[in-house]
Amino acid sequence: MIRTEALVYRYGREQSPVLNAINLCIEEGEYVAIIGPNGCGKTTLIRHFNALLLPTAGEVWIDGLNTRDFRSVGEIRRRVGMIFQNPDNQIVGMTVEEDTAFGPGNLGLPSTEIRQRVDEALATVGLKEYATRPPHHLSGGQKQLLALAGVLAMHPKYIVLDEPTSSLDPITREHVLLMLKQLHRKGITIIQVTHNMEEAAIADRLIVMNQGTVVADGPPSRVLSNINQLKLLGLAPPRITELMYYLQRMGEDVRTDIFTVTDAVTEITTLTNRLRQQAVVRPGGEVCRYV
Amino acid sequence: MYKLGQYLPGVSPVHKRDARVKIIAVVAVSVITLHTKAVGLALVAVAMASVIWIARIPLVYVLRALKPVMPLSALLLLLHLLFTRGTPLLPFPVGLVSVTREGLYLGLLLVGKFLLLVIAASVLTMTTSPSELTMGIERLLRPFRFMGVSSHELAMMLSLTLRFVPILLEEATTIKEAQLARGAVFNSGGLRRRIQTISCLVMPLSTSVFRRCEELINAMEARGYQPGPRTYLQELTLSWGDYLVLITVLLVTAVIIWL
Repeated sequence: MIRTEALVYRYGREQSPVLNAINLCIEEGEYVAIIGPNGCGKTTLIRHFNALLLPTAGEVWIDGLNTRDFRSVGEIRRRVGMIFQNPDNQIVGMTVEEDTAFGPGNLGLPSTEIRQRVDEALATVGLKEYATRPPHHLSGGQKQLLALAGVLAMHPKYIVLDEPTSSLDPITREHVLLMLKQLHRKGITIIQVTHNMEEAAIADRLIVMNQGTVVADGPPSRVLSNINQLKLLGLAPPRITELMYYLQRMGEDVRTDIFTVTDAVTEITTLTNRLRQQAVVRPGGEVCRYV
Repeated sequence: MYKLGQYLPGVSPVHKRDARVKIIAVVAVSVITLHTKAVGLALVAVAMASVIWIARIPLVYVLRALKPVMPLSALLLLLHLLFTRGTPLLPFPVGLVSVTREGLYLGLLLVGKFLLLVIAASVLTMTTSPSELTMGIERLLRPFRFMGVSSHELAMMLSLTLRFVPILLEEATTIKEAQLARGAVFNSGGLRRRIQTISCLVMPLSTSVFRRCEELINAMEARGYQPGPRTYLQELTLSWGDYLVLITVLLVTAVIIWL
């Protein structure tokens, strides 16, 4: 469990806080997406989760370990793997397998154990055949998968990702997201910062931040269907959700907690079927409204 | 793109030798080369040729490795030809100086030594992967810990350098193209102008390096890096063959230096 207690963080003494009294509790096995406008403190918040940043005031606990306690920092970083936005600047090894071995090497594991973990992690992300290649020969998506392998080799309980897909093309993005889904199914807690609302909709829990505070927290079905609040924050809800929202405002009886095209198609066909049946009962009457 | 002394993967006995043995062998070859005269040099040349043959390195690659040092070799030879006193080689002076037999001999000897050193170093990097080389250096430097040398940190620095050289080269090209697109001219104008245009490249590149550094430090810390001892994927182990080669190299070196 990751828990923050009245977490405050400011970069300088006089500056206004980037994080303002954040109280959060993330349970094991959750899939959490964090969204919010630029500069709302998303990145600053998640960097507290593995002690890259320490709170100015308040506490951060990881499974009961305090991030302020320098003796537990090593263990915290093993449990909470972190993946950054730019894949190039987080790869340190001269080959794919050596980079994957970096984390376990830092843990001081014997080389037979490292070998086993590296092979396992590379197989999971599907980079096995690239094991001995230099990392700069990989594509952007493959580099991000390599970063994921490096984290997996540490056997983490939590994986925290800072806009991992922002520099990827749509197909590789799908692949990375699928990977995260699979890892979540294996029991790893996923915490993902994103700008992409379709991505946010995949999560089980959505946290919306603005000006250093949490302004909404709940399942995507509830948070994302609150179109007005999202628009006030300058966030664009998924287009398909917006469509359903306007249909509803026109007076149609549709749900607005819809994030995928397939769900929308089902909902709209149900609607048209219903209308068709009503049209049979009262010819002319319903149809007039669409003219 | 071919880089100087780039690693050529292979399975030859030379490739299979432990990196530490190869590094020590190169040091030994250098010592012998600098220590001997013509006969010794010929022997070293024969030895190097056989190593190249065993390692199955195409001769073209060896020659390419020598290409960049050719101007310097020519200069060395020329200086010796011109400024060594002794028996004149030609019956008449060339310009103000005379070419001497001793000058030719010394010049060729020195150039030979120089080229052999370059070849030895190239064979090392061609038959040893950068990671093995880093590991080898790390292990060889471990005993110097008492002098304040942290072999683990040195190895980390070396491997990060090797990792980021291609990235920075790529970035330099991008910046250069961006400047060209905005009308910069790199290959003309006087020395002053050229220096100015170079600074247009260096400034953005250094800013980007610092930005990358910061992110890299974060990423390394996030993965649990801390200075000091750590473990590696491949630990180097010495085989019988390695010991055999090592002992032979050390014996030969000792004998040659004693004589």
